[in-house]
Amino acid sequence: MNRVVAAAIAAAFAVPVMAQDKPAAAPPPSWQQGKPAALQESTLHPFAPHLTGRPAKDLPVDTLKVPAGFKVEVWADGIPEARSLALGDKGTVFVSNRNAKSVYAVLDKGGKREVKTLFTGLDAPNGIAFNKGTLYVAERGRITRHDGIEGKLDSPGEGKVVVDNLDPSRAAGHFWKFLAMGPDGKLYFNIGAPGNIVMPNYTQASIMRVDPANGVLETVARGVRNSVGFDWHPKTKELWFTNHGRDWLGDNSPNDTLHRVAAKTVPNFGYPFCHQGDTLDPEYGKNRSCAEFAKPALKLGAHIAPLGMRFYTGKMFPAEYQNNAFIAMHGSWNRTTKQGYNVMRVTFDEKGQPKMQPFVTGFMTDEKADPPMWGRPVDLLVMKDGSMLFSDDYNGIIYRVTYSK
Amino acid sequence: MAADSAVCVACHGPDGNSVNPAVPSLAAQPAQFLSTSLYMFREGNRKDPQMSPMAKGLSNADLNELGAYFSKQKAAPPRHKSSVENAAAGPGLAKKFNCSQCHGPALLGQQHIPRLAGQQYEYLGVQLRGFKAGTRADIDGNMTSAAQALTDKDIEVLVDYLAGLVAQ
Repeated sequence: MNRVVAAAIAAAFAVPVMAQDKPAAAPPPSWQQGKPAALQESTLHPFAPHLTGRPAKDLPVDTLKVPAGFKVEVWADGIPEARSLALGDKGTVFVSNRNAKSVYAVLDKGGKREVKTLFTGLDAPNGIAFNKGTLYVAERGRITRHDGIEGKLDSPGEGKVVVDNLDPSRAAGHFWKFLAMGPDGKLYFNIGAPGNIVMPNYTQASIMRVDPANGVLETVARGVRNSVGFDWHPKTKELWFTNHGRDWLGDNSPNDTLHRVAAKTVPNFGYPFCHQGDTLDPEYGKNRSCAEFAKPALKLGAHIAPLGMRFYTGKMFPAEYQNNAFIAMHGSWNRTTKQGYNVMRVTFDEKGQPKMQPFVTGFMTDEKADPPMWGRPVDLLVMKDGSMLFSDDYNGIIYRVTYSK
Repeated sequence: MAADSAVCVACHGPDGNSVNPAVPSLAAQPAQFLSTSLYMFREGNRKDPQMSPMAKGLSNADLNELGAYFSKQKAAPPRHKSSVENAAAGPGLAKKFNCSQCHGPALLGQQHIPRLAGQQYEYLGVQLRGFKAGTRADIDGNMTSAAQALTDKDIEVLVDYLAGLVAQ
């Protein structure tokens, strides 16, 4: 009997696993999965966020750099593991996290920020989206809606379920979600891969959407290892998203990627067979060809961990920033020389080809140190006045970028 | 500070150097490990009849201050004496079972990962057996997974070795 079937049967009937199959009792965490024998002694490890947050006054915030005319400052601290951001109609900034299981509302009161805890004890509520008075929250297994949320921030109550049972396996994997409301009125979210490099089932390694009116699910893109950021181009209305490449293939391979989903297509971007559009996986890529898969729009660098991605349509930044994209890079752990930890700007040429340059830098202090950085950007949010917020889950801080001539 | 470290040292010993084999030393532990542990007690991820109520009323700022304070205290020389055989076998086991991979070559801990060198004997044993049984809370499952490879004898040797190891 092969090992996978044996493990599945053991799990299904909850019989004790035989001694020879012992490792199945507690598999390594997904970040360890797929580590080749040659790297067994590698000391690379993911960086845990400071779950209690760190006060901005203790951090070298004044060393952050932005282009001439721009300014970056702390907008709010004390929001543990601040990750995804969403903006309410009345100006409430909603913030969610993953390990800390919470959703917060931040109110701007005359230059001071007041933080209210809306929900606690949720199951990795990484995804939040706001639309027409309703806050949607995506946990590992379900999406809920909270209608009229800005009128009941002090007693938000229970939400209503939009869709449930998105995580039937309850196993390790990239199952926290990014969530966004599409121009078609449907909620878009990712279901990541069940490990670093593992054959996904038919709902995994995908971007999906659900119609909040009836709960019907559709697949939008396949072969996507883990996307934790997407947005729609303001002109073309096409979906663009960031994607994390696999780990343990070395410092420079494969690239993390930026993708475009052309209208009326359901592309497959290759995971687990083909990475970055042109590199076959050493195990799953045998007897396959990258020619059968859609290509990324841009290679972003290896292990730079692109998370939030938003198009800029505000009025504060100079005109050439209109319809540019910004990408928040969480930065690498699976690389001996670290990179990332920046907010990047993506411009598009007349043919729509993207090109990337740094926008906010300075979180990395020593590319060889452990940890190499003091902060990690996660998500972005363009405010009504055209300024841009970005979150940092390592410290529980939200920063604000402004421009003046 | 708002949170009183004097309350902690009543059990954890002077400067956080425990004199009770069942109670862990806090001195010279990484600050992030201490604040994360307190966070896990407060939030109920990690449960203990003494620590859970202690952590209950503390704010994030309290946890950060306590973590910073005890991380700056010097580790006292271990009171535990390892057996000669276990002291000789320990380094090989710590490498074989990947302890030093995350806890560092001198097992002093880093970031959210604790110092093992010179930690209390009984405490270490309870933690490792808890990880092996899947009952000890774990940020990402890494320790639970790592502990599966340990036999009861391995745990005995490792704990005796680590508890007597000078933190340096």
